[in-house]
Amino acid sequence: MKNYELIEHTADIGIRVKGKDLEELFRNAAGAMFDIIAQRKSPRHHVTTSPVEKINLKQEAENLEELFINWLNELLSLSATKEKIFCDFKFKRLSERNLEAGAYGCAIKDYKINAEIKAATYHQLKIEQTKAGWQAEVIFDV
Amino acid sequence: MTSEIWQGPLEKIDDFRWRIPKSYKPGMRVPGIIYADEKLLKDIKQDKAAEQVANVAFMPGIVKASFGMPDLHWGYGMPIGGVVATDIDEGGVIGAGLVGYDINCGVRMLKTNLQYEEIRNKIKDLVYGLFSDVPSGLGSKGDIRVSPREEKEILVKGSRWAVEKGYGTEDDLECTEEYGAIQGADPAAVSDRAYERGKAQSGTLGSGNHFLEIQAVDQLYDRGLCDAFSLDLGQIMIMIHSGSRGLGYQVCDDYTKSMIHCLTKYNISVPDRQLACAPVNSPEGKAYLGAMKCAANYAWANRQCLMHLTRKVFEKVFGSPWQKLGMNLIYDVAHNIAKIEKHMVSGKEKALCVHRKGATRAFGPGHPALPERYKKSGQPVIIPGDMGRNSYLLVGTQKAMEETFGSTCHGAGRVKSRTAATRSINVDMLLKELESKGIMVKASGRGTIAEEAPQAYKDVNDVVSVVHNVGISKRVCRMRPLGVIKG
Repeated sequence: MKNYELIEHTADIGIRVKGKDLEELFRNAAGAMFDIIAQRKSPRHHVTTSPVEKINLKQEAENLEELFINWLNELLSLSATKEKIFCDFKFKRLSERNLEAGAYGCAIKDYKINAEIKAATYHQLKIEQTKAGWQAEVIFDV
Repeated sequence: MTSEIWQGPLEKIDDFRWRIPKSYKPGMRVPGIIYADEKLLKDIKQDKAAEQVANVAFMPGIVKASFGMPDLHWGYGMPIGGVVATDIDEGGVIGAGLVGYDINCGVRMLKTNLQYEEIRNKIKDLVYGLFSDVPSGLGSKGDIRVSPREEKEILVKGSRWAVEKGYGTEDDLECTEEYGAIQGADPAAVSDRAYERGKAQSGTLGSGNHFLEIQAVDQLYDRGLCDAFSLDLGQIMIMIHSGSRGLGYQVCDDYTKSMIHCLTKYNISVPDRQLACAPVNSPEGKAYLGAMKCAANYAWANRQCLMHLTRKVFEKVFGSPWQKLGMNLIYDVAHNIAKIEKHMVSGKEKALCVHRKGATRAFGPGHPALPERYKKSGQPVIIPGDMGRNSYLLVGTQKAMEETFGSTCHGAGRVKSRTAATRSINVDMLLKELESKGIMVKASGRGTIAEEAPQAYKDVNDVVSVVHNVGISKRVCRMRPLGVIKG
């Protein structure tokens, strides 16, 4: 069961994602983004399973929305340069203006690539508190 | 989507032009003008592109109008098919989001002296050869590897870097917008991360809607122009669509971050933060322009490398050097870019920052930016369609200079979202249908084929018909696809 929904957009792809707290929201949004990008190959297609590498990230921003976009774009950028698909995220610290986290990356060769996401955009970006926690909507440039 | 999403005002100017009045939203500095016929207008109203045409009319320094071309569709901030020019001396702005992440995404077309009959039995070999020798797909890496010093060189020299490496000729440079290298690129304005993201991707096609296509000319519109370009029915052409890859994405990301802070710093009000911008003459605006030019040059070098790899595949399949096969570049155009250009506004020549996002430069005959060989015809304009229909060669016109800052459409324009296309399209059926039309498709993933299916696009014939009839470009000839390689 996926913990995000797709939003219709003519040229790009949007998602709606939820979390009981900010950490879960950030984790689920990043998870959704990499779920759109790639799918883990089934074990019978595995040639090797490379070790998971932890990459530490620090981000600062002027508000929560900027922090959210910076978080996703930093992960995309690291994914491209380190050739990793990030599959798990652990937060050491997360407030509305800064975060410190570990992103766990698996080798790209263990994945089947479905789509390229160039960036997370501010267009129609929504982050709001709900009764159940937090909800965000974001559109990716694909 | 069947009902109209956009309900705002559209005043009919004539059969091909519609105005969103300045009064539609407080904050619009100029009206919006959309080029479309009744049929295309229906598609345009089915998403939020028209609202975005109105939104970009807020840009400080914008002159004349916020223009939407007939392939207009919903983007993120700036609509795709949008043209916006700002007056530099009147506080005009430049926006990273108005160019987009794929800086200098563009298309080039080369001709051959081969006729359809000569390649009919070799299309499979060509498609497989191109698919194997031209790296494509997400994060694809090329065999053309460069050192960090060389990467800086690419950012300044653009296509010339590739030509110096032996991947092309001086003639190729003359047949590329800006001669393959826009002046004023500033490698110091490009972040280390952007360098890192771009280093292994020279000579790679990329993914999504990027493609390489073998086509045959199937209709001539202007005999004189076809003769001038030495084009005839059945002639084999090749089209390459790609951009600046990860380097461009990172430049846009870096400068969107910096420009968001410029909104407060320069007291700029825009209805969408993805339209974040800075005055062209501000330190932030200048830095972005310097970095954007680097990404643009990288993209031109990239398409030059892709063309080189394509020529090599044809050489292999036909056992003849590419020069003998007449594989000469007709032209290469950028369709996501901002340029400093001179245009007449209210009878005065002004230095403008012209943003073309999903729009093509279409300079008319005699323009000083054109090489001698195209001074008489006007600039070649290359309009790719979807993989099942047609593509076009047009030329720029004086009318485009007068009306749209020398700009026209860039392609068919999407009409169906990727998710809707994926839901509704059966890839096996589609491939069979294309095969029955004599079109062979090879892609890195089946997902791309569904997303890029002809049903997801407007009919390019309708789009081109509007720009031709309104006079902002002129049809030369039309091509049909034979072999398609998708990223």
